[in-house]
Amino acid sequence: MIKVNQLLKTVPTADGDLTILRGVNLEIAAGASAAIVGASGSGKSTLLGLLAGMDVASAGEIWLDGECLSTLNEDERARLRAEKIGFVFQSFQLLPALTAKENVMLPLELAGVPDAGGIAERFLAEVGLESRLEHYPTTLSGGEQQRVAIARAFAREPRILFADEPTGNLDTRTGERVIDLLFDLNDRASTTLVLVTHDERLAERCDDRFAMTAGELSGP
Amino acid sequence: MRQALTWKLLAREWRSGELGILLLALVLAVSVVVGVSSFVTRLQSALLSESARFLAADMVVVSRTPLPAQWLAEAGQMGLLSSEGVGFPSMVVADVDHMALVSIKAVSAGYPLRGALQWSAEPYGVLRSGGAIPQSGEVWLAPRLFALLDVGLGDEVIVGETSLTVSGAVRSEPDATTAVFGFGPRLLMNTADIEATGVVQPGSRVEYRLLLGGASNAITEFTEWVTPQLEQGQRLDSVEGSQPGIATTLERAQGFLLLAGSLAVVLAAAAITLASRRFAERHTQYVAILKSLGAQSHEIAQLDGRSLFWMGFAGTVIGCGIGWGLQELFIRLLGALLPVEPGAAGWQPALIGAVTAGVCLVFFAWPPLRRLGQASPLRVLRADIGVADVQRFRDFLLGGVSIIALMWWYSGSALVTAAVITGLGVVIGLGFLAARLLLSGGRSVGGFAGSIWRVALAGLQRRGRANALQMVIFAMAIMLMLLLSVVRSSLIGQWQSQLPADAPNHFLLNLAPEERPSLEGFFDNHDIASETLYPMTRGRVVSVNEAELPKWQEVEAEGAPRQREANFTWSDQLPRGNVLLAGDWWPADSEVPWVSVEEDFAEDIGAKVGDRLAVRIGADTLEVTVRSIRSVDWQSMRPNFFMVFPRAVLERFPGMYMTSFRLLPEQKPLLNQLVSVLPTVTVIELDIVIKEMRSVVDQVARALELVLAVILMAGGLVLISGVRSSLDGRLRESALLRALGARRGLVLGALWIEFLVLGGLAGALASVGAEVAAWGLQTQVFEMTWAPTPLMWCLGPLAGAVIVGALGVWSCRRVVRVPPIVLLREV
Ligand SMILES: Nc1ncnc2c1ncn2[C@@H]1O[C@H](COP(=O)(O)OP(=O)(O)O)[C@@H](O)[C@H]1O
Ligand SMILES: [Mg+2]
Repeated sequence: MIKVNQLLKTVPTADGDLTILRGVNLEIAAGASAAIVGASGSGKSTLLGLLAGMDVASAGEIWLDGECLSTLNEDERARLRAEKIGFVFQSFQLLPALTAKENVMLPLELAGVPDAGGIAERFLAEVGLESRLEHYPTTLSGGEQQRVAIARAFAREPRILFADEPTGNLDTRTGERVIDLLFDLNDRASTTLVLVTHDERLAERCDDRFAMTAGELSGP
Repeated sequence: MRQALTWKLLAREWRSGELGILLLALVLAVSVVVGVSSFVTRLQSALLSESARFLAADMVVVSRTPLPAQWLAEAGQMGLLSSEGVGFPSMVVADVDHMALVSIKAVSAGYPLRGALQWSAEPYGVLRSGGAIPQSGEVWLAPRLFALLDVGLGDEVIVGETSLTVSGAVRSEPDATTAVFGFGPRLLMNTADIEATGVVQPGSRVEYRLLLGGASNAITEFTEWVTPQLEQGQRLDSVEGSQPGIATTLERAQGFLLLAGSLAVVLAAAAITLASRRFAERHTQYVAILKSLGAQSHEIAQLDGRSLFWMGFAGTVIGCGIGWGLQELFIRLLGALLPVEPGAAGWQPALIGAVTAGVCLVFFAWPPLRRLGQASPLRVLRADIGVADVQRFRDFLLGGVSIIALMWWYSGSALVTAAVITGLGVVIGLGFLAARLLLSGGRSVGGFAGSIWRVALAGLQRRGRANALQMVIFAMAIMLMLLLSVVRSSLIGQWQSQLPADAPNHFLLNLAPEERPSLEGFFDNHDIASETLYPMTRGRVVSVNEAELPKWQEVEAEGAPRQREANFTWSDQLPRGNVLLAGDWWPADSEVPWVSVEEDFAEDIGAKVGDRLAVRIGADTLEVTVRSIRSVDWQSMRPNFFMVFPRAVLERFPGMYMTSFRLLPEQKPLLNQLVSVLPTVTVIELDIVIKEMRSVVDQVARALELVLAVILMAGGLVLISGVRSSLDGRLRESALLRALGARRGLVLGALWIEFLVLGGLAGALASVGAEVAAWGLQTQVFEMTWAPTPLMWCLGPLAGAVIVGALGVWSCRRVVRVPPIVLLREV
């Protein structure tokens, strides 16, 4: 499902080029779950951004569900995201002007899925927020916001779900509930899950574990 | 993206309030531009009719021969109003002992087409106006003719071969100063009686006048039609230049109003730019999330384009409505003061408003949004990407150029535009320089300053770029406000000095030398202030340096030297209010045949200092040398002369004296006494004209004040949005400071210092820019003298610091009111 070959990422900075990823190789089977662990600043988010097609690699190849990302342009990668990829961010990234339901509807609407409202309600019910449909993000707690974000990610029924430290901004107990939810939905939808975390216990729940150290990934 | 979806997203985005702020800026900008420019347009048309009143028409065809009937017919065809008139000097006789030389004006139905004819039943009686002219068989006399001829209402007077009944006193004609037919008091009659007088013969000194009034395009059409047919001794008098004093007043007022309008455009652009910038910044996250969810660049561009279009559309529509209301309010406020119904504003102001909004959106709001749409969605992962480059130099340049074009289009004057742009250029240039030096180089100062200062300076430097931009925008807004205030004060000052309250308001001509003592006695007895008595002789310049000058009729090329007739006087000093432009004044008691010539007159005859002129006075010819060239203040209401000679040179020619004096309204009846004591003198009453001029100036001044107020408000709003545009960053930092344990006093004090410094700097820059622009405007556009305004140099920085400081701290007051944790969560 996901295959990465000799991935290199360099960014220009004031003090010359900074190499963030130094030849990353990775393979994750369809429906599997994978955890990437590593210290802060080791390049995990960068890798995830590349995998999701939100940025372009300096060298190397990424294959997602049979498509080679480096051959796609920005718009084609956007289409790919719309069709196949879900994302859960550490800082939730809900739109503050939209209600919980509208936030979940957004990707459905962008993809032109009919009955976006119904689907959104169903997924919000699955994450236990059926009573908060019309609430705005600022009136929701962090855990609730992340559950809305998870509902949004799954509502499109993506083939792959990326989660970047989804519990990073949450306390332990809330974090556990969110993680349970994530795995639960993942199992039911047989999505391929790629999870970035520094929580070892969380990593252990995944099928594969990768460790990122200073831009180098060591395998499962 | 499907239509329905973009609408839905738009509607949701609207809820976020960001679009609302942009819309608000657009509405404000458009309403100021539309309000000011439609007010200006309407006022201009009112002012034009105001000057038309001094011509009694929109245009006059003046001729020494009867005008072809076909011209009248053609004017009628073109939809113009018309009224014919005739003027000539003649004798009027009451009985054998009572006769007088008068200036006769015959008018026909419709006179005056513009302005009002004022008359009264008895001499110096209650003024009336509206509609009436002397009927056939009747005459109206200038008040003092009643005494001079010893006649009363209902008496008969003889003009030429016919006898006419006195039925009223003519008090003020709108065109009294533009239609003068020789000296002598006015006798107003009906053109129907001209034939019967038998006075008007071929070769007699008669001026035929065809007054025309109507829409300006019809006037233009007629002008184009008639000009090729004009013969010698025929000319067109139009509103421009009919009354030099009023004309320059109105011209300057128009210049001011157009300036104000173009400043409104700049301020509007600044307000929209600030709002767009803020919109783009706040919009970044939204776009990034949309992109991470798979929205494509073109879809986002479509969404943003559509938002901007609809914001622009709504802003224009609402702004036009508010702007219209604003100008309507102004017109109402001026209401009674306006002499004539102001014209319609037309569509141009709305167009200007719409184009301003459009240009600002396209050049200032759209580029950052478009780039945002193309930017990497990575921003949702990394907060530091994508904002730094929201606006680019190229956009500013393009936008700037289009704003200049707009200003130019709007003001119709390259000079006005250039002066303002130069001022703004100075502000921008110095602003970025100052920002470089102070905002980024202040680290060393921060080292030893107290802690509040350190926090403030650190803040200033941290947001160095944003602060520089903000300071420049503050400075621009303050500069435009200062500029308009300065120009307004100097214009009004100039007008007031033009017509001082104690200016002479009557001219007295034709005083015989032996009558001087009795006139001086009369003035003394009645406590009347008068100018010196000037001897006056009429003469003609016939050659310059032995070269014969052609007669007026023989001159073909416009502006070529020609003979000119003028009033001469003698004086051993430079007459009051005159300024020497070249050469010097002769020593007192000089007997050398010198002459001092007025500048325009010198140009007409083609003479300069050192030239020898032959001057014909009566039958004599006098050889004189030009010793100096003078300028004369024609608006001073004092006797002014084209040619001044040394006393010894001119004294031997017989001449009459003239002077000007001031009568208070209650002294008016003294004129009757005066003309009975000195029956041969001619008195020209200017008091009514002066009063009218003063009322015009008052109206215009009031209008200028209203416009200034709107511009000041617009400037204030730009300042507010300028402060708001940096609010997010400041709030976040201040909240952080508080979260780290800073006292409220420290946070607030640092904010105060930050804004005071920004505002003070901006005010100082603004003073420099305003001075530069004011210099340009006053010397190049308004043709006034320029003087530095030290007051502004003090007030500018002070006002800048206080206003920006107060606005800034007020806008940030939440920082110290709301718990920091709430703020940190929000931003
Ligand atoms: N666009 C960029 N410009 C400069 N430095 C970057 C950029 N993107 C990432 N980095 C740097 O690369 C390193 C890895 O970042 P990141 O992938 O976010 O790490 P992680 O998610 O593992 O904490 C960090 O030191 C970060 O500062
Ligand atoms: Mg990370």
